[in-house]
Amino acid sequence: MDNAENKPADLPDWLLKDENYIPLVDKDTFVNKSILSVFKVLSRIKKQDSQGLTGSRIHVPIHVLGTFLLIMLVSLTRSFIFVIIVNVWLLAVLSMIDSERLVRILKLSAGVTLCTAVVMLPAFILGNTYSSIMITTKVFATITAMGLLSHTAKWSALTEALKKFYMPDIFIFILDITIKYIDLLGELSLNMFYALKLRSVGKNRSKYSSMAGIAGSVFLQSKELAEDMYHAMECRGFTGEYHINNKSELKWLDYLYIVINTGFLILFIYFGRM
Amino acid sequence: MIELNDICFSYSDTIALNHINLSIKTGEAIALMGANGCGKSTLLKLINGIISTDKGSYRFHGEDVTHKKLQDSQFSKLLHQRIGFVFQNSDTQLFCSSVYDEVAFGPRQMGYTESEVESRVNDCLALLGIQEFSKRTPYHLSGGEKRKVAIACVMSLNPEVLVLDEPMNGLDPKTQRWLVDFLNKWNKAGKTLITSTHNLDLVQEISKRSILFDETHTIVADGKTEELLMDEELLKRVNLVDQSYCYHKGL
Amino acid sequence: MHIPDNYLSPSTCAAMGAAMVPVWTKAVRKVKEEIPKAKIPLLGVGAAFSFLLMMFNVPLPGGTTGHAVGGTLLAILMGPYAACISVTVALFIQALLFGDGGILAFGANCFNMAFILPFFGYYIYKLIKDHVRSEKGEYLGIVLGSYAGINVAALCAAIEFGIQPLLFKDGAGQALYCPYPFSVSIPAMLIPHLLVAGIVEVVFTAAIIIYIKKVSPGTFYKGARVKTKAVYGLVAGLICFTPLGLMATGTAWGEWGADEIKEVVTGGNALGFVPQGMKEGFNFNAVMPDYAVSGLPEAAGYLLSAVAGVAIMIIFFKILSNLKKDKAGNNVG
Repeated sequence: MDNAENKPADLPDWLLKDENYIPLVDKDTFVNKSILSVFKVLSRIKKQDSQGLTGSRIHVPIHVLGTFLLIMLVSLTRSFIFVIIVNVWLLAVLSMIDSERLVRILKLSAGVTLCTAVVMLPAFILGNTYSSIMITTKVFATITAMGLLSHTAKWSALTEALKKFYMPDIFIFILDITIKYIDLLGELSLNMFYALKLRSVGKNRSKYSSMAGIAGSVFLQSKELAEDMYHAMECRGFTGEYHINNKSELKWLDYLYIVINTGFLILFIYFGRM
Repeated sequence: MIELNDICFSYSDTIALNHINLSIKTGEAIALMGANGCGKSTLLKLINGIISTDKGSYRFHGEDVTHKKLQDSQFSKLLHQRIGFVFQNSDTQLFCSSVYDEVAFGPRQMGYTESEVESRVNDCLALLGIQEFSKRTPYHLSGGEKRKVAIACVMSLNPEVLVLDEPMNGLDPKTQRWLVDFLNKWNKAGKTLITSTHNLDLVQEISKRSILFDETHTIVADGKTEELLMDEELLKRVNLVDQSYCYHKGL
Repeated sequence: MHIPDNYLSPSTCAAMGAAMVPVWTKAVRKVKEEIPKAKIPLLGVGAAFSFLLMMFNVPLPGGTTGHAVGGTLLAILMGPYAACISVTVALFIQALLFGDGGILAFGANCFNMAFILPFFGYYIYKLIKDHVRSEKGEYLGIVLGSYAGINVAALCAAIEFGIQPLLFKDGAGQALYCPYPFSVSIPAMLIPHLLVAGIVEVVFTAAIIIYIKKVSPGTFYKGARVKTKAVYGLVAGLICFTPLGLMATGTAWGEWGADEIKEVVTGGNALGFVPQGMKEGFNFNAVMPDYAVSGLPEAAGYLLSAVAGVAIMIIFFKILSNLKKDKAGNNVG
C-alpha cells in the first residue's frame, strides 16, 4: 500500500490567505448572449414536451396539412382582403389559447413582422405600397400559423405526422434524434457556458479560444455520443430500417378544421378571380 | 456568511426549491442530501449566482445577491471568484486545450503576471497530484483525472467557498478516499465547503453538518450528519434509502 | 440569412426546392458510402451540432457579438455531403419548430446554406490546402474558404431576392414579392456579409478547427483530393446562375429609375403609382375603415372587424395578465 502517495499535499501559502481581489473590467457579453439563446431553445424543447397533456386538440397530420395549405394560399394570393381574413382567423384562434403560449407565438410573429416592415420601408417610400404592405401582412400570417402549429402540437407528434405525407421513416428518425440531441448537447453547452461564466472572474484575453473550446468539446462529445448511440441501437437490433406505427381517429373538431380550411380555399378562389 | 431566507425557485412550471431557509457560517463544512431531483443542484446553482429568484432573499457576507446585482459584471465576477463551483460533469467545466492553460485560466484573468500564474498553477497541480498531466489535453483524461483538473482550476482562483456538486460520482474508491482527505484539508484551512451527495458512506467524513431535502423540494432536517444518518425512518420517508439500509455506527 | 416566406414567389421556392433534390440524393448516397454501415445517428447528432452552432454568439471587437452559420466548419469536420444533410435537417427544424426561415422558402434556404455554403467553402479550402502544402496553406484555406462560403451564399440569397421584381409583377407593374432589384438586394446582402458576417464566420471556423486540431487531430474528414475541374464546374455553374439576373439589372434599374419617376411626375399621385387594390376601391390608408372592409359585403366586413376586435382585446388582456405573472417570476442567467 502506498498510502503516502494517496495523501494530498499541504496547501501552499497563497491558498491560506484571503484574496483581496477587485475584478477587472471586461466586455464579455458573448457568454451571456450565448447562454440566453441556448437557454431559450432548451426551454422551448422542454415546454413542447409538457404540452402532452394540453396538446393539440386537432389531429396533428390534419393540422400540419391545414397549416401548409394556408401558408401556400397566403403566399399565392394577390387579394389583400384574403390575407386580412386569414389574419383575423389566426388572431381569433390565437385569442383562444393560454396567455403564456400566446405571448410566445406573438413575440416571434410580431418580431419578424416588424423586421419585415423595416426592410420594406424604403420600398414603401419609393411608392411600392402594394408589395410592402402585402408582404408585411403575409409574413405575419405565415409566422403566426407556424407558431400555432409548433406551439400546440408535441414535436414528436409533428414529426410523426410527416409520415402521412410520405416522408421516409428514416428521415423522421433523424429528425427525432436531432431534437433529442439538440436538447442533450444544448444542455452540455449551456453548462459549459455557465462554467466559463463562473471562471471568467476578470479579463479574458483569449475569448476566441474559450468559445472555440466550448464548441470544439461539444463537437467531440457529440461524435462520441453518436457512436455510443449507434452501438446501443445495434445491440437492440437496429439495422438501419425504422418504422413508425400510428393510429388515430378523427374527431368532430378535426372535421370542423377541415371545413374551415376548405372555406379558405373557396375564399382564395373567390378573391382570386377579382 | 451565506444566508438564504425563504427561497423559492421554479423552472417555468415545475418547482425546484420550496421555501428554503439556510444559514452557513464561514469555515463550515455542510452536505446537502436528498433523492434525485429534490433540488440540490438548483440550490448550488443559486448559491453560485447562476440562477436567481425574486422570492426570498440570498445574502452573501451580509450583502443581498439579487438578479439586478448579478447583471452588474463587477459584482458577479467578484462573487464567482469568492465562491468556486465544481460541476457534477467535469466535461462541462474543461474547455482549454491543455491542463496547464485550464488551471491558468482563472489567475490569468485576475491580472497576475505570467510568473505568478506559473507558480500558482504549479502549486495547484502539485496539490492535486496531477503535475504530469500539465501538457495533456483535459478532454482525453480519465474521469477521476478530469475531476482533479476541474478542482485545480477552481482552486487556482483561491475562493473562500468551495461548492461541489456530487464530487464522488464516478470516482474509484481510491480517488474517493483521496478526495475526502483533500476536502478535509481544505476545510481545516478555514475555508467553507458545500457539497451535495448521495454517498452516505463518505458524507460524514466530509461534513459534520448535513441538511436533508424531501421530495417536496424543501428542507426537512438540518443537523449533525451522524444523527441524520441514524434516523432511518426519516431517510426512508424522503426516499433516499429503502428497507435494506442499515447504518453502521463508527464506520 | 434565413429567408422567411413571402419574400420569394412560390414558383421560385419550388424551383429552388427542385434544384436541391439532386443535391440531396447525391449527398445521401455519398454519405452512405463514406460512413460505414447504417450510422444514421451520426447525421442526427451532426444536425443537432449544426443547429447549436447557430445559437453561439461570437465575440467581436468592441464587446459586440455576431452569429455564424458554421457551414464551412461542418464541411471541413464531417465532409461536405454530411454537412449538407446536417444543415438541411437543422434548417428544417428551425423552420418547422422555431419559426426561423420559411416553410415554402425551405428549398431556397437549403440551396444557400446547406448546398452553396458548405460546398463552396469546402472546395476553396481543399483547393488551397492541396496546393499549398504547409500549415499556413491549411489556415489560409480555412480563412478563405469560410469567408468565400458565406459570402457566396449571401450572394445567392441576394440574387433570389433580386429576380423577384423582374419576374413577378402585377398589371400595374408592382412587384408581388420582394420589391428590391439587384441594384438594392446585392449591396444590401453583401456589404454586411463582407464586412461583418464573413469575419465572424472566419474567426469562428478557424478558432474551432485550431482547438479540435490540438485536442483530437484524428477526427477530421479526409476527403479525396479535389479535382480543380470540380471547383471550376461549381464556379461555372454559379456564373451561369448569376448573369440571369445581372444582365437584367439594367432593365430593373430602368424601371425603378425612369418609369416610376415618370409616374410620380405625370400621375400627380403622391405615392407615385396606384396600387392594384386601390383601383378596386380598397383603401390602404386604414386597414378596416368605418368597420367595413371595401370589396366585401358590408355585413361580412362588420363581422370580420368584430372578430378581429374581440380577438385583439382578448390577446391584449392575456398579455397583460402574463406580464404580471412574469414580474413575480424567476430570473435565469
